[in-house]
Amino acid sequence: MGLRNALLVARRQVGAVREDRYVVFLLGLVIALGVVAVLGARHHAASEAEQRARYQAMVERQWVEQPDRHPHRVIHYGFLVFREEAPLAFFDPGVGAWAGTSLFLEGHRQNTANFGEARHATGMLRFGRLTPAAVLSLLLPLFVVVAGFASVSAERERGTLRLLLAQGATPAQILAGKVLGTGAVAALAALPVGLATVAIAGSGAVGPVSAGRVAGLAAIYAAYLAGWVLVTVLASSFRASSRSALALLIAVWVALCVAAPRLGASVAGALHPLPSRAEFTHQVELAMNEVGDSHNPQDPFFRALRDEYLARYEVASVEELPVNWGGVVSREGEAISSRIQEEQQRDLVEGQRRQDRVLSWTGLISPYLAARDLSMAVSGTGPEAVEAFRAQAEAHRYDIIQRLNDLHINEIRYENDRAQRLSREHWAEFPTFGTRPPPVGGTLAARSLSLSALTLWILLPLLGLGLARGRLARVGVERSGS
Amino acid sequence: MKAWFRLLRLDTLRLTRSTGVAVAVVLFLAIGIYAAWRGGRNIEAAASSAVAAETAYQDQLEYLLASYPPTTDAGEVLYYLAFPAPQPSLRLAALARGRTEVESASLRIRLLALEGQLYEHETVNPTLAAAGDLDLAFLLIGLLPLFIIALTHDLVSSEREGGTWNLVRLFARRRRLLAPKLAARAILVGVVVAVPVAVVAALAGFRLDGRAAWAVALVALHTLFWFALCLGVASGRRSSTANAMILVGTWVALTLLAPAALSLANAILHPVPEALELTVRQRQGYHEAWDLSKAETMEVFYEDYPEWSDRTVPEDVFTWAWYYAMNHRGDQAARDASRAYRDVLREREDWARTWSLLVPPLAAQLTLDRLAATDLGAQLAYQDAVRRHHERLKNHFYPLFFDTAPIDAVEWDRVPDFEPAAREESPVRAGFPAAAALVLASILALAAGLRSSAPRAD
Repeated sequence: MGLRNALLVARRQVGAVREDRYVVFLLGLVIALGVVAVLGARHHAASEAEQRARYQAMVERQWVEQPDRHPHRVIHYGFLVFREEAPLAFFDPGVGAWAGTSLFLEGHRQNTANFGEARHATGMLRFGRLTPAAVLSLLLPLFVVVAGFASVSAERERGTLRLLLAQGATPAQILAGKVLGTGAVAALAALPVGLATVAIAGSGAVGPVSAGRVAGLAAIYAAYLAGWVLVTVLASSFRASSRSALALLIAVWVALCVAAPRLGASVAGALHPLPSRAEFTHQVELAMNEVGDSHNPQDPFFRALRDEYLARYEVASVEELPVNWGGVVSREGEAISSRIQEEQQRDLVEGQRRQDRVLSWTGLISPYLAARDLSMAVSGTGPEAVEAFRAQAEAHRYDIIQRLNDLHINEIRYENDRAQRLSREHWAEFPTFGTRPPPVGGTLAARSLSLSALTLWILLPLLGLGLARGRLARVGVERSGS
Repeated sequence: MKAWFRLLRLDTLRLTRSTGVAVAVVLFLAIGIYAAWRGGRNIEAAASSAVAAETAYQDQLEYLLASYPPTTDAGEVLYYLAFPAPQPSLRLAALARGRTEVESASLRIRLLALEGQLYEHETVNPTLAAAGDLDLAFLLIGLLPLFIIALTHDLVSSEREGGTWNLVRLFARRRRLLAPKLAARAILVGVVVAVPVAVVAALAGFRLDGRAAWAVALVALHTLFWFALCLGVASGRRSSTANAMILVGTWVALTLLAPAALSLANAILHPVPEALELTVRQRQGYHEAWDLSKAETMEVFYEDYPEWSDRTVPEDVFTWAWYYAMNHRGDQAARDASRAYRDVLREREDWARTWSLLVPPLAAQLTLDRLAATDLGAQLAYQDAVRRHHERLKNHFYPLFFDTAPIDAVEWDRVPDFEPAAREESPVRAGFPAAAALVLASILALAAGLRSSAPRAD
């Protein structure tokens, strides 16, 4: 009986929405935008991915086709790697546009990845991006507001709320029905984006996408939009008029989806400022200067190292060493400079994570931020994916450089060192680079704050509806009496 | 006239006594003053970044001179030295931050191939950048319209819905009734705009010069556009709710959808494979030279520097002249790709400027960035200035390399200073198209709204 009443009210709500030309127009618009966003983002992501793959292949070929070279020459020749985006980046590009795309790996120094997409964008980017995730997280809530702000209040204003109550529907049934009805409309609006995304992900055209990730995304957006449906019906039930319910809901939407993310990001930057690029490179240099320079034979650290080697092999000069002293210096220098630069780099990344945490706390106020955070975690486009690329590229760099130094130590004679060359056959023996994305379980586990924020986003309005249930009847009676 | 002012006072009081309006005003002012403070801080951060580039250079020079004997080849020490190229930011950048969050304006340039160094960017945290930035420009262009909508969408409909419209219409003409109401709202909006702008002007210390005047004028015109639009919609016979939905819908379309759609279209229409192309070519061009005869490398070097073509390098020993010529070869190899890269970015910028004229918030925002020299165009101009500086440095040091001079021979205080990009574009040129577009859009919005409502009697 209870369920039947709720379903009747839900059907009534869907009917009311269908009669509203403005809402129907908006529904069409949201669906069209969603599909355009999926297709546009897919096209864009595909062409970017194609470019990166093409240049990655070119760079790998150039590496293998190097002529006979001295290994230290190859250390400076280095290696270029390109950051691959996750397959679901077409759905939610996450932070990818603001992270570099190409990274030059060479000896002695850690470079930063350059040419992020945002660097090639105009000032328009400030206003946001048209991506499927943005349609679901930014526009759909507003559509839910427009479709549901009058759900309860209009019944009250027309006097039909009293009729519904008189016909035996309880306030809880009415509210449940309104939630179901508005939810159905919201689901209808979200469905095309979802289906298009699933179709593209399932086609395998973007790379392997696990069903778990797609299901995770569905769950996140379902929960997020359900929260908006609940909040909308809640506002409609306790505000005095449809008009004031709409004003309140629009203000909430602006505050949570437009203002809070920007304010949160700005405050995070103010609380934990990062050193600028110039300051950072200066810091790195100061730290490096303290330990010495492998290219400088006068350096005290390397003089001590030489004495140690001479003692170990019981010889009088580096020329008599059984290994190539030049290569040893290079290897030790690389070990030291890599360690120092990695320490500095980790400090920088730690500073960024501190900023991220401020933003996560803002997610408790702004479910939009929480949903976005979870969405990019599941899509594999969050900050940890960028950091994984950086760390793995650095590990790859270090591995390649030290292999080359080992070749220098063992295959090149000390005497007349730089005049010698190593056969090009060696180059094919080096590993190629591939990013291993961080597992989704770990990235989600690190986001307990966002998960709680999304849970609260549903629980709090549910609680509010529970309380409003009692008032609903009273407001109805008061209205009819006035 | 006296009655007019009494109505104005009455409306202002009515507005400020509404809790919703009071909360909105306080919030807006608070965020506005915060954004102004942040703007001032960003200017300071940019200045300290420039100082860091200079200090780093001095520190590095001191370290190198202390750790290398004075007889070392100048070329060897210069291999390590990074020269500062700090571009001072305009004070107006405190108002419109533009791309400064991402782009470095204090690059440090070594004498090596330039293309490998020119595209360094700021230590930006991608998470924060993706969440969006809040500068005063976004507040005044992006969010202020919502405040205007909240104040004006029910200009007429609230009276009608309250049943008072027909009553007051007995005593005065429509225009006389609306004028004080509008004026009261304009005063309130004027206050929430003027206070943060005054704060940012004081904190960042910008005077009302041509650029700042155009910036303020654009903010005013953009505000005017929203007033015109709101008035046009609000004077119709629709309900307050319908007005609110129409206006917020328009705001979403103009402020979120149109920019996002245009951005995506711009990226799809103008792809930039050249970014990766130039990186690959620069590296290949330099490294190939190690496997060529020195004469071959020098020959292509002399193509660009015929004045040194009589300075040959020996084939059998390493010389720094040859080493830096190899680096130059890297830049030569990347030259076409680099030019194509800049061309595509300019195309993107031009395309964005043109299309933005159809979307008032975009026109205002892009032009504010342009006036504050924080846009893509300014970044490209800065890169050109860095190119010229690199060239001057090369011209200064190459004679030393050909002479295989020691560091002793370098006159450090005669090293050329960075000459920042000139901000030559006149503010009129930058500001006029958007100003004209905003005026036109205001007239159209008002005319369309009034036409649909005027003929009917109230």
